[in-house]
Order: sequence, then structure tokens, then C-alpha cells
Amino acid sequence: MSENSKHIVAAAWVVAVAGSVVAGAAIRDRIDLSGPGSGPKIENLVASRDNGDGVRPQTEIPAGDFFFDLTEKLKQEYVEPITDDAKLASGAVRGMIGYLGDPKSIYMDKDEFRAYLKARQGQYEGIGADLEVLISQPNAKANRSVLQPTPTEEDSDPRQQALAPGGASVPSFPRLTVTSVVPGGPADKAGVKAGDQVYSVDDHWIINGDLAARFYKAEKDFKAKSIPLSALNDLRKEVRTKYERMLLPLRAKAKLFLGNAGVVKVVWDRPHVGQVTTSIDRAPSQRPGFTVNNDTINLPLTQGVPEQLHSALAGKSAVTIDLRNNTLGDFGVMRKCLAELAPAGNYGYEATDRNTTAKPTPLTVVNGNSKPPKITVLTDRTTRGAAEVLALALSSKGVAKLSGNETGGSREVFDVVQLPDGSGYTLVTSRYRTQMDIKTAKVAKK
Amino acid sequence: MNATKTIAAGIGLVGCLAFGFGWRDIQHGKLPPVRVIDSLFGVKAVSAASPEQIFKQSYQRILSSYNRPVKAQELKYAGMEGLMASLGDPHTVFFPPKDAQAFLEETHANFFGVGARLQTDPLGAKVATVFENGPASAAGMKKGDLITTVDGKSVLGIDIDLIVDKIKGAEGSVVHLSVVRQGVPKPVQLTIKRARIVAPTAESQYLSDSGMGYLQVTSFAEPTMMQFNQEVEKLERNPLKGLVIDLRGNPGGLLETAVDMLSMFVSDKVAVKMKFRDGHEEVAKTRDNLQHEFKYPIAILMNEDSASAAEIFAGVLKDYGKVTLVGTHSYGKASVQNVFPMVDNSSAKITIARYYLPFTPFFGRTVDQDGVFIKGGLEPDVKVDLDWSKVEPVLGEPAKDNQLQRAIEILKEKGPAPK
Repeated sequence: MSENSKHIVAAAWVVAVAGSVVAGAAIRDRIDLSGPGSGPKIENLVASRDNGDGVRPQTEIPAGDFFFDLTEKLKQEYVEPITDDAKLASGAVRGMIGYLGDPKSIYMDKDEFRAYLKARQGQYEGIGADLEVLISQPNAKANRSVLQPTPTEEDSDPRQQALAPGGASVPSFPRLTVTSVVPGGPADKAGVKAGDQVYSVDDHWIINGDLAARFYKAEKDFKAKSIPLSALNDLRKEVRTKYERMLLPLRAKAKLFLGNAGVVKVVWDRPHVGQVTTSIDRAPSQRPGFTVNNDTINLPLTQGVPEQLHSALAGKSAVTIDLRNNTLGDFGVMRKCLAELAPAGNYGYEATDRNTTAKPTPLTVVNGNSKPPKITVLTDRTTRGAAEVLALALSSKGVAKLSGNETGGSREVFDVVQLPDGSGYTLVTSRYRTQMDIKTAKVAKK
Repeated sequence: MNATKTIAAGIGLVGCLAFGFGWRDIQHGKLPPVRVIDSLFGVKAVSAASPEQIFKQSYQRILSSYNRPVKAQELKYAGMEGLMASLGDPHTVFFPPKDAQAFLEETHANFFGVGARLQTDPLGAKVATVFENGPASAAGMKKGDLITTVDGKSVLGIDIDLIVDKIKGAEGSVVHLSVVRQGVPKPVQLTIKRARIVAPTAESQYLSDSGMGYLQVTSFAEPTMMQFNQEVEKLERNPLKGLVIDLRGNPGGLLETAVDMLSMFVSDKVAVKMKFRDGHEEVAKTRDNLQHEFKYPIAILMNEDSASAAEIFAGVLKDYGKVTLVGTHSYGKASVQNVFPMVDNSSAKITIARYYLPFTPFFGRTVDQDGVFIKGGLEPDVKVDLDWSKVEPVLGEPAKDNQLQRAIEILKEKGPAPK
């Protein structure tokens, strides 16, 4: 071997050794980020996206290392031994979801998440109703304190946030609202209606920015001498009473959504009516499954339904699809149902607000129903989520006629993610827009 | 020969690959977890993901998939806050860099500013206190002034923290403020040179009507011992029949300061016992060279916002029979925290021990799952609620502060302290 080729071989060795080390580290990175083989993600919700937007954490200290360091610090220093690492991880995830301040991106503990997954299959516990925290303002910072306050030294008592001065300048009026009731379930029997807002549960008042706003106004009025001290004191008494017995909206939701026994006393604010008091027996209840009654199809968006729909449509020239009382539908199932009902084509977009340059993802049917029947869709305000998107997609292209005069106004598309300890969360990934919506937005921009 | 060489080379390369694979663990000083190796060979590992991975997966998912833009840094910090919150201890908290800095300033109680404390007002920021001998005081700022512009820019309706940020700056630099003062038709212009401020944490007032001293301690910071001492001396220049130490709303602060201050009352005695996780105990004793002779009875005012070092201070004095506690029960923070700096200037405040008073049983606060108070805190000797029904209370003004009034009555009944 000549001197020259010896050098080349030596260089090749250096490259090979270095390459191996780097490759090893790269493989490890990929494994660490990919998660366990079974996957924490629940099958068939929204197909996983790749990071096409080029969004990558630009932090100096990688988040994982930071997490590791803090966990180690706690293990060394905390007054009690740390035995449950997984709890720390779930806590961190809860913190991140809470940070989003988004009423549709919600962390649920083990019990809540189990009940949620069952409800998606139509099996309910508790009072037999879907409840959502509806917030009029898309203000993440203000919503955060209402949805999931992160304890800090001064505000460790969540009740204080009900009266925090910040509440007065940015009043947030979250209302825990019934979005639909299970027909024949406990809530239905007690006369609860979609649109009812929870005022109190077992005499625990649900935190509400309205009280803080009224209190600060009264304080100001008293200083300006336009109301007497007695009026201010009456309000103080109300604040103190409510402060002693207060519930955060998501905690109240868990009380109504969980459990198969026990009576719960709920006071509702019913729009245009006033306060209604109900006593509800918690008990299991069930939504009707896929049913065909003459030409009317009740279409829950749960696993297996697209296949049933396929055979039900055979030979029919006209059908009515009932999408009322349909709130927790699966987006993957919805897509398949759309393909059963509609011919190939584009049925709107899943648009994100992530950045301005990202193109919305089209909601496309590839192998559709080339000879669809005449379709009428029944909707009302209990048509929400995947069901609402299905209704709008069908009507946007004139494939179906909507018979109801409204839908629920909940068009967010979200992932459902389960963590290893059984807790889980929902994460909004986009919002459905029809082609018309996109055009209108473009015109508005111009 | 050649074959052996190739095999050796192959083994060498595999070794390097393994080294790269395990590098992160080597950095952390441990072996790669079994699960990570398992997944290389397609072994299913249900629910065995490491906590670090569980966190990282969701972190990446939120960053890349959430509908709205997310700031990676803030998301990370929110995760750390949630991690700490999962322990259910309201005093173990994570401070992002900004909060970490504020926390440092609070405990050191000195920063570059103008020497005034502000409070929220719909029109800007209202001056609540002007510190004696501070630059604002020298420039003519008065209590009650309404700051409307900072360096020519309006601060109407701006968050108070942001106004304070604008007013603070480098030592020696100048800030121009425009203030509205009651009874003065035109806005007053103030030019103030920023300086290192030692915020007063102890302020006193001699109440000549009753002959009582009123000494308000707002926190236990580094300079508090010295300031407390000075205020006591100032009060004792008057014929003093009693002393009311007001700890209402005092959130605590440095344990060391509280123990030093206790040394003025009791010499070389156990102040507080700290019990750590491994069962070992540490005892903080008062010093034996700081004792002061208090020739008059003393009462301490406290409420549910009196916490931590304030409770130690009050509780130890109660245990040694030096004071009468007046007001409502205190907060009940019976634990000790240490602040650990993290990389990137954030920090972690972690409960490292629980503390026990000399005689009073453990008084740590317990709350229900909604954070509502169940029990805990020091019980007052004389329970008095603040009375809102007749006048708008003003703390420190006997006529408008029924708790202070009651404390004065108690001290009058007691008369001079027995020798």
C-alpha cells in the first residue's frame, strides 16, 4: 500500500467513526421523539401532520433537558420523596395545555378522560349531557386564569383570581354551557336544555367575571359617592359568601360529567327565562346508535358507522341525515361518511392561524359516491364539531340541503391524545372553513 | 488475518454507534433506559415511556400542530410551572426569568428606581408611598400624585407593572414624569435621577392620642432588621406606653431576618425547628448579642395574609409569652423553601423542609381540592375581624381601623410590662 492510499484509508476511518457516533445519536433522537410503538395517540382521529411548517423549537436549552434538570432537582431537594415521575410529566403537559388558554384544548385527568372517551362512543355517566366552557373573548391570557389557573405564590388560592383586579380591566365571562343532552338521560328528564348555563352545583358557585366587574364598579361608584356604603357592603357580603364556596368551571364540569350515582343540585341560568333549579340523579345513559327509520338515518360519528351507512344508502334515491344531538363526533369517521355521501371533490379547508403563509389543507374526497342520493340534513345548535363540519361540507357544494336553520358554531378540528397514565387532552389543530369562507376572507383582506 | 481485521473494525464502528446512541445518558451519568433500546428492535413498550419523553412528545405536538402560533420558550416555562404544580404544594413553584428577577428584587428589596410605591388607578398610576430620602422625594413627588406620562409617553390605562418597568432604569439615568396633583390646575413635571433604592419594609408612627407606637412591617427582607431597629429607636424617643406591630398582609420573606429580629426579644432560645425529608432536623436559635429591653407591652396584628416569616415572628413571640396576637388567623405557611437558579436565569423555588414553632403544634395550612381553606395558621389570642360596616377601613389609622383600636385597648389594660 502506498503512503497516499494509507492516508486515504486513515481518513476514511476517521469519517466512519465520527459518522457512527453522529448516526447513533441521531437514531436516539428519533426514538426519543417518536414515543412508544403502541402510540399515545388514539387511532383514526386526525392524521398526524409532519412539521411541514418548519416550526421547530428555537430554544437555547432544549425543553427535554430542562425538564430533566428540574425533575432531578426536585428529587434531590423536595421535602417529600418523589415516587411518581409520570405524574410530573402529566403535570407538565397539563401546564402547557393550560397555557394555551383555549376552551377547546383541554387537559383531562384519568377519570375525566375515561368518561370523555366513553361519551364519544355514546355511553354517558353523570347527568347525561355535554358541557363546554364557552368564552366570548379569544384572549388566551384572560381565559387562562378561568380555565386552569397555574398556582403561583400569591394567587395559589384560585378564588382570589375571581376578584383579581385584572379581572376588571379584562372581564372574561366564561359560562359552562350545556351543548346537548342525551335524550332520555337524567338531565333530559330533569328538563335541562341545550344552551342552559351552570350557575351553581351543590350550592358551589361557578366563578364568573361578572361578579368581579360588578364589585369593582360598585367600589368606584362608592368612591364617586354615587352609591351608599350599604350598597357596597351588600355586594361585599355576596362576594364573601361566593368566595367561600366557589368552583372553577372545569371542576364543575367534572362533577356533572362523572359518576353513576348520587343526586346533584344544579341551578341553571336559562337565557330569556332566568334561573332554574334542578335536582338530577346521576345515572348511566346512552345516545341512540346508528339507526335507519324509513329514509331517516341517525348518524353518530363513531367507529363502524361509515360501513353501516354504506349499506343503508344502497338503492335509496333520497335520505334524511339526522345530525342533531351530535357533538363529540370523530373527525376520521366524519371524513369516511363524507366520502359515502358525496362525489369526489373539494369540500372546504382545514385552515390554521399558526402563521399567515401556511396554505389551508383541503378537505378532499377522492373515491366518493358518484351517484349520491338526494340528501337532506337535519341540524340545530346541538350539531357541533365533526357533525357540524359534515353538514357544512355537504351543503357548501350543494350535495345536501340543510333543513335546520342553525348549527352549533363549533368548527374546530382537534386531536385527542392519551398519556401513559390514562390522562389525556384535546388539542385544536385547525378550523374548518368552506370555500366561500376563504373567498370572503380574501375579499375582506383586499 | 484480513477477516479478523474487518470484524474488529466492524465491532469498533458498532461501538462508536452505541456510544453516540448513549451519549445523552453518559452526559446525565447513567445507562440508556431499557425502553429506548427495546424500541430499536421493535419491542412494544406500552406505557413505559420515560417522563422526559412524555413531556417532549406533547411539547413538540403543541408547537407543530396547535392551531395558533405558540412561543416555544413560554410553552416550555408553562410546562415547568405545571410540573411543579402537580406536587400539590402551592409553595413549590417555577419562576421564568422575568419572575425570577422580580423575586430577587423583592427579597433584596433594592433596585434602581425613583423611590416610590405605585398603585393601580384607571388613569395611570397613583403614588401610594414616597420613600423618605429617595430621589422621588427629593424631586418633590407627593403621595397621591397621579402619574400620567413617563418620558413624554402617556401611560393611561397601561398595566401597573408595565408602568413600573418604564420608570425603572439604569443607575444614574434620568426619567421625566408628568403628574396630576389634586388642587394643582396644571400637570406637574418631575425630573428624577434613578438610584439604588432601599425600599422601606418597616415604617412607624407615634400615636400621640394613646401614647402607643404603631410599627408596620410589610415584609422580611435583607434590610428589615436594620429598619425595624431604627423605627423602634425613633418611637422610643416618645413616651411610649405600648407597641403595636402590624403584620397584616405581610407575606414573609427571609427566615434569617425574622430570627435576627426575634433576637431583640429573646436571647439564645430555639426559634424554629426545621425538619427535612431525610428526617434530619435543624434548629434556628436566636442570637445572644442583639437583645433590646422593651419596657412596654406589645401586641401583634395579623390576618390571613400574614404568612411564613411573619408567622414565625408572631408565633415565636407568642410561645415565649412576649406578645398578644390580635386579629384573625394567619395563613399557615409552615414550610421552608430554597431558590435554586436554573440555566437561562429562570429559577425553581422548592419546599425543602417544614418548620415547627417552640411550643405551638404544626400549623401548616390545609385546603380542600378547590383550594378552599380548611384549617391552619396561628390562632389569635384576641379574635377581631376588620369591620367594614361603618367606615371604609384605613389600616394604621385608629379611627378607621377597629383591629388597631382593639389592640390599643388591650395594651392599655395591660399597663407596663412586668420586669
